[in-house]
Amino acid sequence: MKKMICLLAIMLTFGVGMMNAQQSKGNILPYPIYQHKLPNGLNVVTVPYDSPGLAAFYVTMRVGSRDEVEAGKTGFAHFFEHMMFRGTEKYPKEKYSDALKATGASANANTSLDRTLYHMTGNAAMLDKMFELESDRFMNLKYSEQDFKTEAGAVKGEYTKNSASPYEQLDEKMNDVAFSKHTYQHTTMGFFKDVVDMPNQYVYSQEFFKRFYKPEYATILVVGDVKPEAINALAEKYFGMWTKGDFISTIQVEPTQTETKYTHVQVPNFPPLVSLNFKAPAFKSNDNEMPALDLLNSILFSEKSDLYNKLVVKEQKARSIGGGATNSRDPYLSQISASLVDAKDMQYVKDQIITAIEKAKTTPADATILADAKSRLRYSFAMGMDSPTNIAEAISSYIWVTGDPESINNAYVMYDNITAQDIMNVAKKYYINTGLTIATISGDASCPIK
Amino acid sequence: MKKIFSLILVLFAFVANAADVVELKLPKSDLIVIKIMFKNGSVSDPVGKDGLTDITANTISEGGTKDFTSAQIKDLIYPWAAEYGVSVDKEVSIFTFQVHKDHLMKFYPIIKGLMLNPRFAEDDFSRVKSNEQNYVDEVVRSSSDEEYSKMTLEDLLFRRTNYQHMVSGNSAGVKNCTLEDVRAHYRNAFGNSNMTIGIAGNYTPEFLAQLKTDMGSLPTLKSPLPIAQKARIPVGIEVEIIAKDNALGSAVFTGFPLAITRSNDEFAALMIANSWLGEHRKSYSQLYKKIREQRSMNYGDYSYIEWYQSGGQNMLPRPGFPRSSNYFSIWLRPVQTAKGLKGQYPELSTIEIGHAHFALRMAIREMDKIIANGMSQEDFELTKTFLRSYMKLYAQTPEKQLGYLMDSHFYGRKDWLLESDALLAKTTVADVNAAMKKYWQTKNMFISIVTDRSEAVPLAKSLRDNLPSPMSYSNVLRGVLSQDILTEDKEVENYPLKVTKVTILESADTFK
Repeated sequence: MKKMICLLAIMLTFGVGMMNAQQSKGNILPYPIYQHKLPNGLNVVTVPYDSPGLAAFYVTMRVGSRDEVEAGKTGFAHFFEHMMFRGTEKYPKEKYSDALKATGASANANTSLDRTLYHMTGNAAMLDKMFELESDRFMNLKYSEQDFKTEAGAVKGEYTKNSASPYEQLDEKMNDVAFSKHTYQHTTMGFFKDVVDMPNQYVYSQEFFKRFYKPEYATILVVGDVKPEAINALAEKYFGMWTKGDFISTIQVEPTQTETKYTHVQVPNFPPLVSLNFKAPAFKSNDNEMPALDLLNSILFSEKSDLYNKLVVKEQKARSIGGGATNSRDPYLSQISASLVDAKDMQYVKDQIITAIEKAKTTPADATILADAKSRLRYSFAMGMDSPTNIAEAISSYIWVTGDPESINNAYVMYDNITAQDIMNVAKKYYINTGLTIATISGDASCPIK
Repeated sequence: MKKIFSLILVLFAFVANAADVVELKLPKSDLIVIKIMFKNGSVSDPVGKDGLTDITANTISEGGTKDFTSAQIKDLIYPWAAEYGVSVDKEVSIFTFQVHKDHLMKFYPIIKGLMLNPRFAEDDFSRVKSNEQNYVDEVVRSSSDEEYSKMTLEDLLFRRTNYQHMVSGNSAGVKNCTLEDVRAHYRNAFGNSNMTIGIAGNYTPEFLAQLKTDMGSLPTLKSPLPIAQKARIPVGIEVEIIAKDNALGSAVFTGFPLAITRSNDEFAALMIANSWLGEHRKSYSQLYKKIREQRSMNYGDYSYIEWYQSGGQNMLPRPGFPRSSNYFSIWLRPVQTAKGLKGQYPELSTIEIGHAHFALRMAIREMDKIIANGMSQEDFELTKTFLRSYMKLYAQTPEKQLGYLMDSHFYGRKDWLLESDALLAKTTVADVNAAMKKYWQTKNMFISIVTDRSEAVPLAKSLRDNLPSPMSYSNVLRGVLSQDILTEDKEVENYPLKVTKVTILESADTFK
């Protein structure tokens, strides 16, 4: 028994490898990324990492609410993610559940604008079974109409629990106002009327599976105690016969915005919020606009920024302030939000944010501040790379926007090369009144600011 | 199981005996994690100053030191991406500092300054207090009904004890806290006699010695802190319904006091039973299958044999919330109200209540069945296999590994995750079934429901009078459900619950 306890002690301590952030001239990710493309177009990515006995197994599907192009079908990518747990002929629901449970893995999925992510972290020795289960449902998903209609209620339950948050309510309204043509107009959850109607969409769900659950939409990523040769062999064995599809979504281009837009959620007895949502660029591997915007946001709105110090620490008109742009496949938003102590200060806080932005358009960032912002990005990344799950999350976030895992390393090269001029350029190009949607929460009947 | 994992990592994790230090030496890691845990928590809030421990800990964490203002600290650590913060729970406060080893020696004066010489500036205090007041007055009622119902269940379970109030306090308590109170509480509740130091990473012995010496210079507490009080035993099923405006669903939490914690070996048997009944956010647990998967009633249904922090955000349990005063609970995520269903389906235009009563009956019936009948050998084996593997995922990062070791220390164990595996290995199905009969019951429970104002009165009547609660499916769903499910529904809708008390509270009257 004593021997077994010692053994288990060793098994429990893993996840210690981490980069030395001083190696800043090399790749940000200090582990090689092995890629292997199957003849059917499926990309298989392996990142060996020192985590004895443990592996994170991710399947990134480049389909999300962005692909919900038909009217009445909002929220469908997310709903479909739910259906992927409803079994196949070989593994009907109950058998699938038992098999998944027997792996002892932490397995789940989630959906966003541009992707649906299926993930399992668990025992590396169980990868054969994990691959078998995953490939079976990705190729052979089969569910009854009863299962489909029942699962729709769970999605409605998800909407119901989310809807209690005024932030969720505002997010839904803000996207609806900020976009008029592009599918980013609706949230990943979808419009409630479409969620209620989901049980009636059984036939469409089969079409959805045929369109998107194909190897060219998928990337397999395994991080942990694994070897690329073994992972490639598993991928060939279990996913090699997955037939290629040919569907490509036609997504409408969002017309250029011409004026500031407004939206508001009235909630009494809740911290007032002002959110400035500027149209922002898509993320591209070879384009430094998004890295420049990230650095701009860090310099202007982080906890060390002048604005934070003024509004949150000294004047205490804001409880918090923050800003960030979303890496997305098509142009989305860079969002700056402040939670306020008193709604009467909303105009003042908004004006202060705009003043800081205007200054950033004409005043080059101080060299030390820019260097500090770059340093922070690198150290923050390095400190977060401390488990197979965290590494897989980071790499997959680049896979879904570009399709290429190496873009994680490219992105940090771009961060290193950003100049003060680059930052002024993106401020001038994107932080403009005609790209702005102002979203607010307060007890007022309508948006109380201009 | 032993052969499953490869064994190339040479690490050691142990709890030192001399000083109260928990060490986790990770020679390959560039990250240093330091945790300073104080056994105080919200139970040590003075009477009438509910929330003071949380405000004190946060004023330390978000404030400055003798040498640096809070803004100067943010400036200094920004390029290092160093992180720190505090989490306060009912019985502990834990400060956590994480930094890349490149910056440890530059960061250390800040760590030392915050712990030994906090600045306690008026503006830092007023900011923290204002946020705390805002949370207890507004945010908790309006952000997440399910988190709200969890808080109101604790309020009910621990009424008139020092465990009743939220860690953040209540409206009157927070209002009463002054900066002088914070200074005094720092002296009275954050000392070397109720402190445990935790450290993980590739630190030197010299650094650890310095840390121990410095933290050891905190004063020894002059008076013992209050002991955590236990939950009340309900008489029958006591329900509190919180009525609010514009709730789309009914959020439900139910629970009763539980006599054991991780300190007891029998806890392992109860872990298997609980995992089968309601493993957190797992589709293969019984409550989830019955309520969500088969009946489409909500997003998920789970059970717990100890506190689970931020269940809506976390798939795996977080360390840092050890408790000696324990309770069992069931979490039913929001189910539909009558008002909501009527608006969605014309065929349900005459219903009087939504799904909360039925869902409660279903959950309690499932629990009754498993207590009475026990687990099958097959379910037991599968669940045990799952848990022994799954628990190894609880501590994937150095910060979590250290956190679990410190929690173990709280419970009088060296390494709970490790020891649990050994306990699970020798647990039998008979042990599990005996533990359920010994520790679980459904006759005496508290139930907390946060719901729309329109649902409160009819739901209260339905519960109080033990009225039948037939499931109100939409036609589109009813048309495809199997006869087995509809037959079982008939049994569930009349399942007797011995409700002895139902109270309706206005949302505005909670956490006063």
